[in-house]
Amino acid sequence: MVMMNGNEAVARGAFEAGVKVAAGFPGTPSTEVMDYTHQRYPDIYCEWSTNEKVGLEVAIGASFAGYRSLAIMKTVGLHVAADALGGAAGSQINGGLVIVVGDDVGRIAGDDYNDVRHYGNMFNIPVLEPSDSQDAKDLMVKAFEISEEYTTPVILKITSVICKTTSRVIIDEEYTYEAKCRVKYPVSFSKVIMTTMMMNAKGSEHPKLVKCFNDFPAHMKRLADDCNDFDINKLELNGKKIGVITAGTPYFYTKEVLPDASILKLGLVMPLPEKLIRELAEHVDELYVIEDGHDILEKNIKDLGVSVIGKELFPKFPEMTRFTPDIIEEKLVPDAPKRAIMEGIPFRLPVSCAGCSHLFITQILKKHKIKAAADVTCGLIGCFPHTEAYSLQKCMGSSIALSHGYNVATDHRENFVAMIGDGGFWATGINGLMNLIFNDSQSTVIIVDNSCLAMTGGQHIASSEFGFNYKPENKLEIAKVCEAIGVKDIVTVDAYEIETLENAILNAVNAKTNSVVIVKKPCITKFKLPKSDPYHIDQDLCTQCRKCVNIGCLAIESKKGKDGKVEIFINEDLCVGCGLCSTACKFDAIML
Amino acid sequence: MQDTGKNIIIAGVGGQGILLFSNLLSKFYMKLGYELKISDVIGLGQRGGGVESHFRYSNKPVLSPFIKAGDADYVISFEQTETLRYLHCLKEDGVILSSTFELSTSSVNTRLEKDMPESKTELIRKSGKKTFIVDPDENKNPDFDISKMMNIVMLGFYSEYRGYNHDEMIQIVKENVPEKFVEGNIKAYEKGWAIARAELVAKESEVSNC
Ligand SMILES: Cc1ncc(C[n+]2csc(CCOP(=O)(O)OP(=O)(O)O)c2C)c(N)n1
Ligand code: SF4
Ligand code: SF4
Ligand code: SF4
Repeated sequence: MVMMNGNEAVARGAFEAGVKVAAGFPGTPSTEVMDYTHQRYPDIYCEWSTNEKVGLEVAIGASFAGYRSLAIMKTVGLHVAADALGGAAGSQINGGLVIVVGDDVGRIAGDDYNDVRHYGNMFNIPVLEPSDSQDAKDLMVKAFEISEEYTTPVILKITSVICKTTSRVIIDEEYTYEAKCRVKYPVSFSKVIMTTMMMNAKGSEHPKLVKCFNDFPAHMKRLADDCNDFDINKLELNGKKIGVITAGTPYFYTKEVLPDASILKLGLVMPLPEKLIRELAEHVDELYVIEDGHDILEKNIKDLGVSVIGKELFPKFPEMTRFTPDIIEEKLVPDAPKRAIMEGIPFRLPVSCAGCSHLFITQILKKHKIKAAADVTCGLIGCFPHTEAYSLQKCMGSSIALSHGYNVATDHRENFVAMIGDGGFWATGINGLMNLIFNDSQSTVIIVDNSCLAMTGGQHIASSEFGFNYKPENKLEIAKVCEAIGVKDIVTVDAYEIETLENAILNAVNAKTNSVVIVKKPCITKFKLPKSDPYHIDQDLCTQCRKCVNIGCLAIESKKGKDGKVEIFINEDLCVGCGLCSTACKFDAIML
Repeated sequence: MQDTGKNIIIAGVGGQGILLFSNLLSKFYMKLGYELKISDVIGLGQRGGGVESHFRYSNKPVLSPFIKAGDADYVISFEQTETLRYLHCLKEDGVILSSTFELSTSSVNTRLEKDMPESKTELIRKSGKKTFIVDPDENKNPDFDISKMMNIVMLGFYSEYRGYNHDEMIQIVKENVPEKFVEGNIKAYEKGWAIARAELVAKESEVSNC
C-alpha cells in the first residue's frame, strides 16, 4: 500500500498497463502525469511534444504500430488536438490508445469552465472518470482494455481534485513491466474513408474493402450493452427515498452527506449502463444526478427517457464552479446548518514573481501606451486590472494572429503589438508568424524567451537546453527560425537591460516592416537565478503614489504597520534586486 | 478515549511549506495505522496566491477529499488573512492555530479593494473558538529563520498540543527534509513545542482562575 495523488496513480496505471509511448503537452492539473511517468518508469518513452495535437498524433502512430500509447493534456489542450481525436475516433485500433485529460474543475488554476466529456458525445468515444487514486490507477488499466476490445480511443477524464488528492493505492509490488503489443489491423483510416467504403460498397465481401471497413457503431453498441456488467459501474442499492447517479469525486461527497442514499457510481460515464440506471430509477422515489462540470450525464440520462433532477436543483456555472459536500448538504439535507465565509476578506489576484522578465515588458508597453495582445503565458497577469498592460488576450499561441487581424482591419494605422511566450510560439504561434509574413503584414511580435513553459512549472520546449530527449545539436534557435520564416527585423535583448529593451521595442513598433523582439532571460523561478542585493523604499521620499505597486512585482507590498500607518515597502526576502521598480519611481524613493 | 480521526485545514500562501507540513503529518498518521485523504488546493501559489490543504485521517475509510464547512477540528494557518477564510469551516469546539504573519493581497495593494478595517488578529481571537496565536516576530531566533520555517514551528506546536511523541515526529522531520536543513528544522520544531507548552500552562491557569 502506498500513498499517491491522482497524477501519480495514473502514471502507475500506465506502467501496469504496459504502455510504451507517452506524449502530450503540459497543462494544469494533469502535467505531473507525464513527470511521474518519466521519473519513475524509464521503460516508457516520454515526450513533451510541441503542442497537444502533435502529442496525440504521436500516440496514434505508436498505437498503430501495436503498442499501448498514451496522450496527456488538459481540456483546453484537447481543443487543439480535437481534429486528431476526430481522426482516430471510430478507426481501427491496434495497441490501446488512451487520452488522459485534466479538467480544471473549480477553475483552481484560472481556467475556463470546460468539460472534456463533450468529446465523448461528439466523437462517440468512451470516457472514464475515477473517484480517487486507487480508481485512477485501476481505470487506467481498464481504459486500455476497452480501447483494444472495442477498437476505439478512450478518454480518461481526471479533475483538479483527483490530481491533487492523495490517498492510498494498492499496487502489485511484484509487477514486472512488459510493453504490450497487439497488431490486429493492417490499416487504420479516418471514418471519412471508411464511411465512403461503407456507403458505396454495401455488402461487398471483397477483402480489400473488408480490410478498410470498421463497424464502429456496432463496437459502441456492444460496449453500451456490456458496461451494465462492468464492475467499474457500481450500483449500491440502499434507502428507497433518494437515488443518485454520480461519478468522480462527487461520488464521495454524496456518500458522506447522504449515507442512506442508493447510488449508481459510474466509472464509465460514456456510454451509459442503461439497465443499471433503470434499476436505480425503479428502486427510489427521487433520482438525482450529481456531476462536476456541465450537465452531460444529465442530458444523456434524459435522452434514455429516464427523468432525473440535476441542474434545476444544482445550478451550474456561474452559481457553482465545482461540487462540494456543502452544496449537496444544503440542497438535500433538511435543516442543514448554514455556514458562510466571513465577509470582506480581500482576495488574492495573481502577481508575477519578483524580477520576472514579463514585468519589464509590461512596464515599457504601459509607459509608451503601446497597445498589445497577450498570449497565455505567465505574462497574462498583465491583463488583470491591477496591471492593465494588455487589451486583448485569448488562447495559447493566438496573440500573433490576433494582432495581425487588428492591424489589417485598421489599415496598419497603429501597430498593435503581440506578446507571446517561447512555448506559445513553438506550440502554435509560429503559424501566426508565417501567416503574417506571407500576407505582407507589419506587426511587431515580442517573444519572451525564458527557456521553458514557465506558467506550468518550467517544462522544456524546442529552444530549451534541457529536456527528456534533449541533445544540444537539436536545439532550435528562435531568432534563426524567425529569420528563415522571413521576418525582416529581428533583435535579441536581455530583459534586464531596460534602456536597450525600451529602445528595441520602440524601434520595432515604429519600423515600417514586420519585426520580432526576442526578450531573453531565463525564468528566475525555474532556473533559480542568483539574487542581487534587494532594493528598499525610503519612507521619507515616498509619496505613496503606488506606481511601483502597479508593476505587479510580488516583492512590493503595502501594509498597515503596528502604528496603523500604511507603508509601501519592499519585501527583502522576495526582492531579487532587478531594479525595475527604481526606474518606475518618479520621486527617487527606491534605492539599493 | 481512542482518537478515531480528525479533519484539519492547513492554510497559507505559496512558499510557506504547507505541502511539506501535510506530508510530514501524513507520515506520522500512516505509522499509527490511520486511513488518510489529503487534498491540496493550489491557486497560483508560487506567485503569492492562497494554498489550502484538506487533511483527513480516520480509523475508517475517508470519503470526501474536502472537509465540509462545520466539520473541521483544526484550522492551522501560516498567514492570518488566510486564517479568516476558513473560520466558518470549524466545528463548534474546533481549534485555531494561526500565525500573525500577513502577506498583503495584490487587490488591496493596488487599491482595487479596501482592506478590512479591523485588526485581523483580533478578528481571529473574537471568533469564539479555542485560539492559539503565534507571532513570528516575537519568536525570532538566531538558530533558524522563522520566516521560512514557520511550518515546522507549527508542527512542534500541534504535536505538543495533541500530546504526541516528539521523538517520533522529529524522526519524521529528519527523514523528510534535505540534510542541510535538518538542524534548523529541529530547532524550529523545538521552538514550536516550547511555545505550545507555555501557552497551554497559561490557558490552564486562566481556567483555574475562574
Ligand atoms: C492549448 C493550451 N495548452 C496548454 C495550456 C497550459 N498552459 C498555460 S500557460 C502555459 C505555458 C506557457 O509557456 P510560454 O508560452 O513559454 O510562456 P511563459 O509562461 O513561459 O511566459 C501552458 C502550457 C493552455 N493554457 N492552453
Ligand atoms: S514563473 Fe518565471 S515566467 Fe512565470 S512569473 Fe515567475 S519568473 Fe516570471
Ligand atoms: S513609486 Fe516611489 S513614491 Fe510611488 S509609491 Fe512607489 S516608492 Fe513611493
Ligand atoms: S528590485 Fe523592485 S521590481 Fe525588482 S524584484 Fe526587487 S522589488 Fe521587485
